[in-house]
Amino acid sequence: MKNDRSGRVLDIFLTFLKFGCFTFGGGWSIIAQIQKEYVGKKHWITDEELLDFTSVGRSVPGLMIGNTSVLFGYQTGGVPGALAALFGVALPPFFIMIAVTFIYSLVKDNAYVDRAMMGVRAAVVPIIISALIKLFKSGMKDLFCYLIAIGALALSLFTPINNVLIVVLGAAAGLIYMEVKERHAVS
Amino acid sequence: MLYLELFLSFLMIGFTSFGGMSMIPLINDQMLSHGWMTSQEVADIVAIAEMTPGPMGLNCATFAGSRTAGILGAASASLGVITPSLTVCLLAAMFLTRFKENRLMGNALYGIRPVCIGMIAAIIVQQARTNYAGTLLGISWQAILIGMIALVLLVRFQWNVPKTILVSAILGLLLGR
Repeated sequence: MKNDRSGRVLDIFLTFLKFGCFTFGGGWSIIAQIQKEYVGKKHWITDEELLDFTSVGRSVPGLMIGNTSVLFGYQTGGVPGALAALFGVALPPFFIMIAVTFIYSLVKDNAYVDRAMMGVRAAVVPIIISALIKLFKSGMKDLFCYLIAIGALALSLFTPINNVLIVVLGAAAGLIYMEVKERHAVS
Repeated sequence: MLYLELFLSFLMIGFTSFGGMSMIPLINDQMLSHGWMTSQEVADIVAIAEMTPGPMGLNCATFAGSRTAGILGAASASLGVITPSLTVCLLAAMFLTRFKENRLMGNALYGIRPVCIGMIAAIIVQQARTNYAGTLLGISWQAILIGMIALVLLVRFQWNVPKTILVSAILGLLLGR
């Protein structure tokens, strides 16, 4: 049994190292990879379990990829499994990013790189806009959501209030609003 | 102590962010207020994080940490940003069945999601001010043109981000002065 468990943990670590090299474009890519490897090929978990990991992973703070990895790792290999999945998925991007940062610092002031980066920076706002459009569809449910979003926009742009605090305020507003709404529904 | 500051900064970013793009406003705030990065470097980091594999937040942490304090800085910042996964999320994993039905977290998220949307809208305004600034009437017309092309590619033609960044870089090389 113990042997079986350590074999699993090693399997998780090596597989998540591989996932870590190929997760582009946010949380959904890792779910697709887990699905293929562990639901399809190895039958360690079911689709329903994966769906649970996804929804819980998104509803707790932190990196969605990291959270999903921890949830999967814990369910299949306990705490060692969770650590194996998290560090497996995090190590490749960590080392790749160190190399990239090194190269960036070297070539940043080169005239050609500077021109290319002008173009790249011009694309950053459209990239954020396209992400915002997707979030808009899932996050804006009623008038309350619009008021909160406009409030956050104003606080963030026109006051020196830290964004961390704005998130905390948003959480409090959500708790109070839903509490009031549920009480009204009961009475 | 710079390592500790990096760790704590990214710990805060980690605990108040809920995936992907919603991290950028928080990272922007921390980087500018500590003087660790300029607004332009934040734009670079967003693009670079989209082009390299791995979670956006981790890529940003590694970049910021290693630019400000070398490899150990990168490790401190990265540990900070994965701490929520190691703590809150691990607890959620242990009590998965009970957590799934947790009403409070869902209620809090009802307020957090629109806040993220508002903050991301704010970062768009801030980034636009930096990235489209230029010499002619204060505006870089080349950057505006590239930005509009990128927007059409992303939204209308559903191009993926790395491909769009590549085309924008080539356009920058051709149009830049």
